[in-house]
Amino acid sequence: MAKSKKLASLMRGLAALMAVLLVLSVIGAGVADKYRSALDDTLGTQSYVTITDADKARFKSDYATIEEMAAAAKNIAIREGEEGTVVMKNDNAALPLADGAKVALFGLAAYAPYPYNSGDLKAGNEDAVDLVQALKDEGIKVNETLEELYMNKILNKHIEMVPNRWTGVEVPTETYDIIYTNAPGDMANEFRVVEVPPENFVSEFGLDANWKSSIESDTVGIVVFARGAGEGNTYNPGSAVNYAGEPTGKDPLELSEDELAIVDVAKETCSKVIVLINSGNNMMLKEIAKGGAHEVDAIAYIGIINDYQCTGIARVLTGKVNATGALPDTYVADNSSIPAVVNFGGDYYADYETLASSNDPRFPGVEIGNSKASSFGGSATYNGGHYIVEAEGIYVGYKYFETRYYDSIMNPSFKANSAAGATQAATWDYNKEVLFTFGHGLSYLDYEQTIKSVNVDKTPEGEITAVVEIKNNSDKEGLFLAQLYVQQPYTEYDKTNLVEKSAVMFLNSGKVTVPAHGTADVTITVPTKYLASYDYKAAKTYILDEGDYLFTAAAGSHAAVNNFLAAQGKTTADGMDTDKTGAVIKWNLDSLDTTTYATDNGVAVTNVADDADLNYWTGKDTVTYLSRQDWEGTYPVNYNEVEIKVNDSPRKDEWISLLRGEVYTIVNNNPATEGTDKGLRFDTTNIQYNQLESVKDPFWDNLVSQITIDEAVGAVIHGGSRSDVLTNVDNPVVIQNEGVSGFTTGYTDEATGKTYKFNIHSQTLMGSSFNPQLAYEWGLVEGNSGLWIERYDLWGTGLTLRRTPYNGRNYEYISEDPMLANRIGYGILLGCKEKGIMNGPKHMGFNDQEHNRGGVSAYMTEQKFRETDLRAFQGGLDDAKGLAVMIAFNRIGATNAAHHVGMLQKILRNEWGFYGLISTDMMNNKYYFNPESMVMAGITQVADFGGNDNHINLGEGGVDATWAHISVDTVKNDSALVEQARENLKYQLYTFANSAVLNVSTEKVATWWDNAISTITIVSAVLTAVFGVAWIALTVLPEKKKEA
Amino acid sequence: MKKKLSVGAWITCLAAVLTLISLIVYFINVGGTGYFHNIEVKNLVLFSILVIVMLLCAIILKTLDIGGAAGRAVDLVSGALQIGAAVLLAIILINLISSRVEGLAFIYFSNADVIKEVQTAENLASATTTIADMVLYGVSLIFAIVGSFCSLRKKNS
Repeated sequence: MAKSKKLASLMRGLAALMAVLLVLSVIGAGVADKYRSALDDTLGTQSYVTITDADKARFKSDYATIEEMAAAAKNIAIREGEEGTVVMKNDNAALPLADGAKVALFGLAAYAPYPYNSGDLKAGNEDAVDLVQALKDEGIKVNETLEELYMNKILNKHIEMVPNRWTGVEVPTETYDIIYTNAPGDMANEFRVVEVPPENFVSEFGLDANWKSSIESDTVGIVVFARGAGEGNTYNPGSAVNYAGEPTGKDPLELSEDELAIVDVAKETCSKVIVLINSGNNMMLKEIAKGGAHEVDAIAYIGIINDYQCTGIARVLTGKVNATGALPDTYVADNSSIPAVVNFGGDYYADYETLASSNDPRFPGVEIGNSKASSFGGSATYNGGHYIVEAEGIYVGYKYFETRYYDSIMNPSFKANSAAGATQAATWDYNKEVLFTFGHGLSYLDYEQTIKSVNVDKTPEGEITAVVEIKNNSDKEGLFLAQLYVQQPYTEYDKTNLVEKSAVMFLNSGKVTVPAHGTADVTITVPTKYLASYDYKAAKTYILDEGDYLFTAAAGSHAAVNNFLAAQGKTTADGMDTDKTGAVIKWNLDSLDTTTYATDNGVAVTNVADDADLNYWTGKDTVTYLSRQDWEGTYPVNYNEVEIKVNDSPRKDEWISLLRGEVYTIVNNNPATEGTDKGLRFDTTNIQYNQLESVKDPFWDNLVSQITIDEAVGAVIHGGSRSDVLTNVDNPVVIQNEGVSGFTTGYTDEATGKTYKFNIHSQTLMGSSFNPQLAYEWGLVEGNSGLWIERYDLWGTGLTLRRTPYNGRNYEYISEDPMLANRIGYGILLGCKEKGIMNGPKHMGFNDQEHNRGGVSAYMTEQKFRETDLRAFQGGLDDAKGLAVMIAFNRIGATNAAHHVGMLQKILRNEWGFYGLISTDMMNNKYYFNPESMVMAGITQVADFGGNDNHINLGEGGVDATWAHISVDTVKNDSALVEQARENLKYQLYTFANSAVLNVSTEKVATWWDNAISTITIVSAVLTAVFGVAWIALTVLPEKKKEA
Repeated sequence: MKKKLSVGAWITCLAAVLTLISLIVYFINVGGTGYFHNIEVKNLVLFSILVIVMLLCAIILKTLDIGGAAGRAVDLVSGALQIGAAVLLAIILINLISSRVEGLAFIYFSNADVIKEVQTAENLASATTTIADMVLYGVSLIFAIVGSFCSLRKKNS
C-alpha cells in the first residue's frame, strides 16, 4: 500500500506538471501569436508567406534581377551625393580639387562620417563606400600620416565582444576608442563636442612631433565636422562641453574651440582648407565663414551620409560633376537670432500642478500636469502641463530673414532695422546675421538663370508654369539648378487682418544639363493654390490679394529678393547688398479673390483651428504673433516666461477637457448595428475596376458593414505594427515597416546567399538636391524595393519642417521651407504609389521638437497651421494622393494631433481628398491617447506593438485590454463611433486595394516554435489524462483490494 | 496538526505563502508610479486568492482523520485542489507575462535613441517589480508542482 500511495503521489505530481504544461502551451500559443511579428524578427522565422498573383499583379518591379534592383538603388544614392552636396563658400579656387590632388583629412568625421553605424539611417551594405575610399577612388592622394593617426590611434575602429544583456552570449560589436557624440540626448545639460585638439596628437596619441612636415605645402586640407541627432533627442542651447570634458557654455551646434584648433592647424599646414559639414542640424559657422577669425577657403554641406553618397560627394569635390546642391535651410551667425528659437523647448503652465482631473470618470485621479517632461512626455498623466507658443508665425527660416531684409529697404516704417532680434550688432543687419541663405549653392560652372515666361492658371486645379532659361557660360557641359521664387503683394487688407506674407517664397525647382556655352530651358510647374495665403481673421479662408505677383529665377532666396527689390526700383544706394540682379516677371490680380481657393475638393475651406491660438484660451491678446508691419513691436518674447494659468481662462473647463483628450465623449442612446457576414470579401473577385476607382462605390460600405462592433473599434485602436485579418473581410496581413531611408528589411538572394539592403537614401541630401525629379525616381526605387522584399507599407520619409536647428529629427526631414518639402514629398510619394507601395511620411502636425513630444501643446495661428507644416505634407498627400501618413505625437493647441478632427477629417480627408492610412506614432500613454477621440478624428490604426488584437474585450471583465472604459457594452449604443470606426477601416481597406496588397495573399505557415508549442500541447494533454487517470486509480484501487 | 504535516504539506504551504507575497508585490506594482501603474492583469487577484484557499484547503483536508470511501474522496479532492492550484498559478503567470511583455519590451528594447528616455527611475522600478512578481509567481508554481508530488500527511499519522 505504501508503494501504491507513493506511486499515486507521483502520478498526481506528474498530472499536475503536465496540466501546467498544457495550460502554459495553450495560453502561451495565444500570447506568441499576438507577438508573432516580434518573435519572427527576434528568432528569424517567417510566419506569413506572401503569395503574389504574378499574372494579375498591377504592380511589377522594373528590374528583372536583384542585382539590377541593387544597382538602381545605388545609383540614386550616388546621385544624392552628387546633387545634394552644396558648395557654400569657394574662394581661392579651393574647389574643385585638382586631378590627383594631395589631401590631408582632419577631424573624426572625415574617417567615420555620421552616421558611423548602420541602422535606420545607414544600410550597411558590404560594398558601402566611406569618404576616404571615395576620394581615393577619384584619384585623390590622402595623407597617410593623418590617416594612420585618426584611423589607428584615435578612432581605432575595432570589434569588441559585448555580452548580450539577456543571454550573456558575447557578440562581436563594432566600436571606436574615440568618436564624436552620436546624439545630444533629450535637451541634456551636457553635449560633449568630441574633437581631438591638435596638441593632443603628440601628447595623447604619440604622433611624431614633426608630423606637420609630412604634409606637403601644396596639400589641401579637408576638415569634416559632424553633429548627430536621433529620435527622442533635442539639442539644448548652451550645453556644449569640450574634448577635455569642461563645460564651455557655448551652443552645441557652434564650432568648438577644439574644432577651430583643427581648422587652424589645417590652415597652418595646408595650402587651402575646405570644411565639410556632416549634419542634419544647422551648425553655426561664423568663425570659418567670410570675415571669421578662422576663415577657410571653402565650405561644403554634405548632409547625413548613407552607404554610397560619398562617391557622389567625392565626384563633386573633384569636379567630376558640377555642384548643383542648394541649402535647404538658412545658416545664421547665431541661432538665437532665429525668432522660432525664442519659443523652443517649452515649459509648464504656471498652475500645471493644480490642474486636477478628479471628475474624469474614465481615469479618476489622473492628473493633467506632467511633472517630469521628457521626450516621451513624462509621468503617467495626460501630459498636458507643457507648452510652447510658435509666435513667429509663418516667418520660419529665410522667410523671416529675407522679409526683414526686404522691409529694411522697402518699408522703413516696418522697423526692420530695430534692435529686436539683433545678435551681431546693436541694430539688426541682414548681412551680419545671415551667413548662407536658403537656396544658396555655388556652381563650379559659370551660368545665368533667367525667367522667360510665367503662366498662372488661376483656377482651383490650375498650375503656375514658368520657363527658366539656363545659360551655360562655361566651356564644359554640366548640370544646373533653376529655382523659382515669387513675391506676393502685401496689402493694407493684409496689415489690417494680420495676413502675413513673406517677401519671397520658394515655389519649386528643376535641373537640366546644358552643353558648353549653350542654353536650355527648364519648365517648372507648381499648383497655383500655393500662391494663396490663409486669412484666419476676416475671410477665414484662402485669399489671393490684389496686386502684383513677382516671379523670378534665382540662385537662392536672397538673390530672389534682390531681384524683386531691383524690379521695384531699388539699388545699392537704398541699402541693397548687390547690384547684380535678374529678371522678374509680373502677374497682376486686379481685385482681392476670396473665392477661388475657398473651396477644395468640393468642400468649403474655413477655420478649423481657432483654438490652436493661445489667445482663444486666455480670452485676451496674451500672444502677439510676429507681423512684418512692426518687426520691433511684434518680435516674439518667450511665452514660457509669461504667466499662463489654465484656471484663469474664461474657457477653463473646455481647455481642461481638451487637455484630458475629451474631444469626443461616448454616448449610449444611439444603438449601433452589429456586423453580419454578407459574403463580401477583400479579393480580386469582389474588387474590380469600379471598386478601385472610388471609395464611394457601395461595395466598400457593404464590406465594412460586415465587421462586428468589437472588431471595428478594436482594429482601429489596436492597429498595431501589423494590420491583422478582419473577420468577414479576409484581408491579407499587412506588416508596417521603417524607415525614412527606405525599407530596413533586407532581401537575401537564395542563390548567392547575399543580402541586399535598400535603405540607402539620405533625406538631408535629397532636400539639398532641390530636385523633385530625383525624389520621384527615388520613390520609384523605394517602391520597387518593397515589391522585391514583399513589404508594402512603410514609414518611408519625413516631411515635418525644420522649425529650428535643434530638433533631433531634423536629419529625417527635408527643409525649413514648406514648398521644398512639399515638392520633394510629392515626388517620393508619387513614385512609391506608382509601384503600389504605401509610403507614410512622418510626423504630420508640428513635431517641432522631440522634447516632451508626447504631450507638449504647440500654440499658433491658423495661418501658420496651414501654411507651414501642413503645406509641407500637402504635396505628397493632396497632390500626389499618397497612400499613408503618420501623425505627430504632440498637441496642436491643446488637442492631441491624433485627436485633431480639423486637421485629419476636415483638411486631410475632406479638403485634400486623401483616402490613405492615417496612423498614430507609437501609442505609449493610454491617458494621452484617447481611443474614442482618435476614432472620431479618422485615425485608421493606432500604432502599438501587438498583433492579432483586433478586439475590445481582451481585458479583465471583458473590457478593452488597454482602456478599461472601452468595451462592446460601452460602445454598442454609440452608432456614430462604431460607424466612424468602420469608415476609417473602409479607407484603410480601400487603400490596401489600391496598393500592391490587393494582388497578394498571405498564407500563415507554422514556424518551428509553432510546431514546438503544438507538440507540447498535444503531448501534455495526453499525459495529463494518462497521469490523472493513473492517480485516481491508484488513490482508489488499493483500498478496494484491501477491502476485498 | 503540526505533527501530522509532511514535508509536502510544508512545501504546499510555502507555495501558498509565496502566492500571497506575489499578490502583495502585484499590488505594489500596479499601485506604484511608473509604467505599470494601474495596469491590472485579468483575474490575477481572484485567481491568486483561489490558489491560496485551494492550497490551504488541500492541506487542511489531509489533516482530517477520515477513513473509508470518505477518506478516499478526501484524498481525491485534496489532490485535485493541488493540481487545480498549480494550473491556476500557471494561468496567472502566463497572463502576467502576457500583459507585461509589451511594456517590458518598450522599456528595455526601444531603439537606442529613445531608451534613455524610457528608462526613467520610475519605469525601471516598475519593470523590476513586475519581473520580481513574475519570478515569485514562478517559484510559487514550482513549489505547488513539487508539493503535488508529495504526500501532505505524515506516513504514521
